[in-house]
Parts: sequence; structure tokens; C-alpha cells
Amino acid sequence: MDTFIQLTVDALTLGSVYALIALGYTLVYGVLKLLNFAHGDVFMVGSFIGYGVLQLLGGTTNPSVPTWALIVIVTLAAMAGCAVLGVVIERFAYRPLRDAPRIAPLISALGVSFFLVNSMQLLFGATPRNYDTFSLSNGALYFRGFDVGNVRVPLLRIITISSAFALMLVLWFLVNKTRTGKAMRATSFDREAAAMMGIDIDRVIVFTFVLGSALAGAAGVMFALRVPTQVTIGFVAGLKGFTAAVIGGIGSIPGAMAGGLILGFAESYTQGYVSTKWSDLVVFSILIAFMIFRPQGLLGRADIRKV
Amino acid sequence: MKKGIGLALAVLVTAVVAASAQAGHKAAAAPSAVSCSAPLKIGFVTPLTGGAGFLGQEQMSWAQYAVKTLAAPLGLKVTIVPGDTPVEQGPAPAQTLAQKFVGDPSVVAILGPSTSGAVAASTQTYFQAGMAHLSPSATRTDLTKTVSGVKEGTPAFFRDVPGDYIQGPSDANFMIKNLKVKKVVIMDFQEPYSTGLADAVETTLKAAGVSTIRLSAPNTTTDYSAFVTKVPSDADIVFFPTQKPADAQTFAQQLLEQGKKAKVFGGDGSNDSTQFKVPGSYVSNFAPDITGIAADASIVAGWKKANPGKSVGSFGPPSYGATQILLHAIKLACTADGGVIKQRRDVLRKVKQVSIKNWILGGTFKWSTKSNDPLNAKFYIFQIQNDGSYKLVG
Repeated sequence: MDTFIQLTVDALTLGSVYALIALGYTLVYGVLKLLNFAHGDVFMVGSFIGYGVLQLLGGTTNPSVPTWALIVIVTLAAMAGCAVLGVVIERFAYRPLRDAPRIAPLISALGVSFFLVNSMQLLFGATPRNYDTFSLSNGALYFRGFDVGNVRVPLLRIITISSAFALMLVLWFLVNKTRTGKAMRATSFDREAAAMMGIDIDRVIVFTFVLGSALAGAAGVMFALRVPTQVTIGFVAGLKGFTAAVIGGIGSIPGAMAGGLILGFAESYTQGYVSTKWSDLVVFSILIAFMIFRPQGLLGRADIRKV
Repeated sequence: MKKGIGLALAVLVTAVVAASAQAGHKAAAAPSAVSCSAPLKIGFVTPLTGGAGFLGQEQMSWAQYAVKTLAAPLGLKVTIVPGDTPVEQGPAPAQTLAQKFVGDPSVVAILGPSTSGAVAASTQTYFQAGMAHLSPSATRTDLTKTVSGVKEGTPAFFRDVPGDYIQGPSDANFMIKNLKVKKVVIMDFQEPYSTGLADAVETTLKAAGVSTIRLSAPNTTTDYSAFVTKVPSDADIVFFPTQKPADAQTFAQQLLEQGKKAKVFGGDGSNDSTQFKVPGSYVSNFAPDITGIAADASIVAGWKKANPGKSVGSFGPPSYGATQILLHAIKLACTADGGVIKQRRDVLRKVKQVSIKNWILGGTFKWSTKSNDPLNAKFYIFQIQNDGSYKLVG
């Protein structure tokens, strides 16, 4: 039972980070029908921005602000930095190709991905950056928390999971309950019709990139609070986020959340109960199964074409 | 008429066969002789980027320092040409680099490859080109010795550090005799270095009656929570032979997070006091802390001057030593060939003739007569202290 509880905590932690990444994929795809393969690298940049701000605030051994403020500031800075990066990417890599064949922005996205990885490597080197949250308040983030049976759920996990769910709620509210969200949904449904109705499409697309990239920035910090970051982390994280988005139904916001959690649970339980060697096999088998039997994903709309 | 056509065909076939043979001969022939007074190149195949990038960067700085200080006194002009093999990309970059270096006649020898997987991927190419390749850190046993009927390395491969046939039993025996372990979890990362070392440790532990559990993680794993969950609460040690010390740190932290008592025991790949610093953990390495060797004081001071702000690690000194060996082998080949290197094989033949007094790792460096390994080399075991320093304990 303890193993089950521990794996469930692992799954929720992992799944919530995957869900945040998947949301970025799904938001952009929903509005632009573009697979933004640079999204994983925006996540990586977010973790580096967080690291930089953390150092500016004195690091974890000598922080100039309380622990809670440190985490909030670092996360907000990463979100803001990534939002700006998202706007820049959209403006220079995707907007000029908006009316080009669909393969062109896809190639541009891959180019941006390589550009980001190599630029970061040139600027910051290959050495992994450790937030060293273990040193923060004498390990309080690891040793404090609550117990479920014999399993300790540490504060760091609670912060990661609850922040991710809070961000998902904010996103849901933005998309479903605000005027801008309505414009996003209209653009996603039919871009031309939305433009004819007076919606500023450029503004909506930029806002979409701001939202998606900010979520990636937050995910980057949540990831790096627990695991050292380096310039190469974006590839695998992006791949998992993309898989989660496809499983949930690309273009569907609740789908991306569900997909991320499904992926987290599949990975953790496979590692715990089947074999640590097979987790990626199981994860990507689920993707293949969805592609064959339910290509629209769990909560996505089937693509109906007039014939 | 038919006879004429037959004759013409025979001549044509003979010409084609002769031309093919000539072309084959040209392809197999050694590159043209290189003058020893001209600038010579040593290729350095190491992970300069990625999770093990710290290792390659450290090795590169020491190799460059060795060339800077040792080449001129030997009358040589040598430059190091770096080649990056990120561990996350598997064997492909090592294969590509081998083709590149073999194709450049001014490259007379190879430093590295630094990782066992990269050696296994490229050693045949270097061997066919008669090119010596000397690794300062590839420790997998079957690169120099036959294991279960398999020997991955070729006669052109050398290393100046001991292999896992010493590291594995050394680490395991330390666990058995000093730590009195009853249950050990052994990780591997599905690549040649960690699987070889994990196998060696597992064999010795099992032979001593220690209970072992084997876990295997993909080389791209960053979050080890699920693996930590599988570590039994009564396990004494988790043997963690990673090439990414930051991962050893993560694993040790996650063990504490889940309230597990087991300590992490890392191999030489996790020996980095700036990245792996959870107190109580263990690390083994093929090099001692050379700052404690009096004869190395001037080398350490010179390297620090050339690399301000950097600290002396364990991967750099063997890289300095390997460069020193190659420079001497090149010098011997130049002397024997009258100021030129007629073919790369001449350098290869001289490598095992090199012995070095005042070896950077202490004592005198000599080759084993039985394999392309150093003679009487050993592994050192350190324990991480509360201040993050590494204390020699075995």
C-alpha cells in the first residue's frame, strides 16, 4: 500500500508538470494548428531564468527573502521571461510563415528549438544547474509535509502539485470566463470568421503564446526545484508534453490536463509495478494506441470533413 | 569476331579489377608522411556538452595545459582538436568523429574517447587506420580484456586509468568489509559504462552472499522518484554508477525525501564535489586528489593560473597524463623516422614504450605487459563530508 501511495504522489508530481507543458502545445495548436516543437526548449529556458533569479536573490544557502517569497518570485520571473520569449518566437519565427504551407512553420519550430538549445549552451555552458532546494531552510522542503500511512508527502511535492493545479484553474478561467478567452475560442474554431467578426487575430495569437510560454516557464521552475536543469532537458520534456497533449486530444485544454496526468500515472506505475526499463515503452505505446484507435485523443474533437 | 569481343571483354574485366584493386590499395594506404617540424594535431574525443560536459571540459583544460607546457620541450608543435560526444546522443557522434579524424592526415593520435560507449563505437575505425587512441577515463573492463568471450577494444586502444575490473571489486569489497552491507540496490543506465561497472559490483557482492536488487533507468532519466520508491527501506547502499554527478545528487536527495536510510555510492563518473555533495554518500575514483602530491605542486599552480577560478577535479589529471604519454610516443616516432611520421602506425607502436617518472597521479607510470592498461593502478574511495568535501576513506 505504501508503494502505491508513493507512486501516486510521484505520478501526480510528474503528471502536473507534463500537464503544464502539454497545455502550451495544445493552446498554440488550438489557435494556429501549429505543433510548436520549440515549446520544450521554452520550458528549459524557464528553468534557467528561475536559476538566474534565484542566484540574484542570494541562492538557497543565503536567500534575501523568505522561502515562500523566493519560490513565488522565481516562478513569476520565469513565467514573465518565457512569456516574452514566446512573443519573440511568434513574431520572428511563426508570423512570417502564417500563410505558408503547414510544413514551413513546423520546420521553423525545429529551427527555433535548435537555436534555443545551442544559444543557451553558448551562454551558460553544459554544466547542470542545481537549484539546491535541499539547502533551503535546512531541508524544510524535503522534511516537512504530511504523512499518508508510512509515506511522507514533502512540502516540495505539495507546492509543485498545488501550484500546477492552481495554474490550470487560472487558465480554465481565462479561456472560459473572459472576453479574451472567448476570442481565443472563436479564433480556434474559425480564424477567418473570427477576424470578420472584428477579433484582432494577431493579438489573440500573441496572447496564446504568452499564456503557453508562461505555463512552460512555471513548469520549468517546478521541475528544477526538484531536479537539476541543463540545456538538454527540453527535448524529452517537450516530447512527453506533446505526447500528453495528443493523448488528451490536441487542441483541448481539459484534454491536455488529463493527458499529462495519464502520462504521469502510466510512467510511475510502470516503473513501480512492471519494470523501470519499460516506462518509456509503455508511455509511447499508449501514444501509438491512441493514434490508431482514437486519433482525436481522449477529449479532442474528431476532424469532420465535408466530402 | 566473337573471339575479338571475348578478348575485349577479358581486357575490360581485367582493367576494371586492376583499377578496383588499385583504388582499394589507395584507400587502405596510410596518409602521406607528416613532418615533425610542422604543426601536428591530436584529436580529443570527449563529452564537452550534455550531462557529462563538466567531465570533458575539465579534461580538455588539462590536455591543453599539458600541450602548452610539454610539447615545446620535446621539440613538437601540437594542437588539440576537440570533438564533442554528448553521452545523451549515444554512439553516433563518436563514429562520425572517428571518420573525421581518420580522414585528416595531420591528426596523428587520439586522446580519448573519454567514455566506454564512445570507445566501443569507434575503436575499430581507429584500429584500421593504425591510430593510437588513449582514454583518460573509459573504464569498462572489456575494452582491454576479454570478458565472456568478448573484447570490445582493439590493440590500438589504451587507457592510463584502471578499468572496472579493479573499480567494481574495489567498491564492492569496501561495501562488504568496511560498511558491512547486507542489502545493496544496484542501478544501471542502459549504456556500456554503467552496465559494465554495475555487473562487476553485483558479481562480487553476490559472491560474498550480499542480497542485491538491480534497477535500470534510461540514460535520459532526470527524475528518479519511482526508482527511489523501489529501494527497500532496509537497503544499506544504492550503487549509482552514473556519468552525470547531478543525477547522483538528485537520487541522494530523493532518498532522504522518502525517508530511506540507504546511502548513494557513486562510481568515478559521479566524482564532482561541486555537483554531488549529499553528506554521507560515497564516491570512487581512479585518481587521488593530486593537490596532496608534493611533486605536482608546480603543475597544479600552473594549471590554476591558466584556468583562474577553477578547482582541481579528478578527471583532469589523468587527461594531462594521457597527453603526456601521447606526446612522448609522437616524439619517439619522430626520432625513429628521422624527423617525420611516415605513418600513424609508427606512433601507435611507440605508445607502450613510454614510461613516465614523477607521474601526475603519483609514482612512475608503466604499462602492463598483459594488456593496454596501466601497471599497478588502483581505485580510491571517498566519503562526502558535512561541508561537501571528499575525504579519502579507502
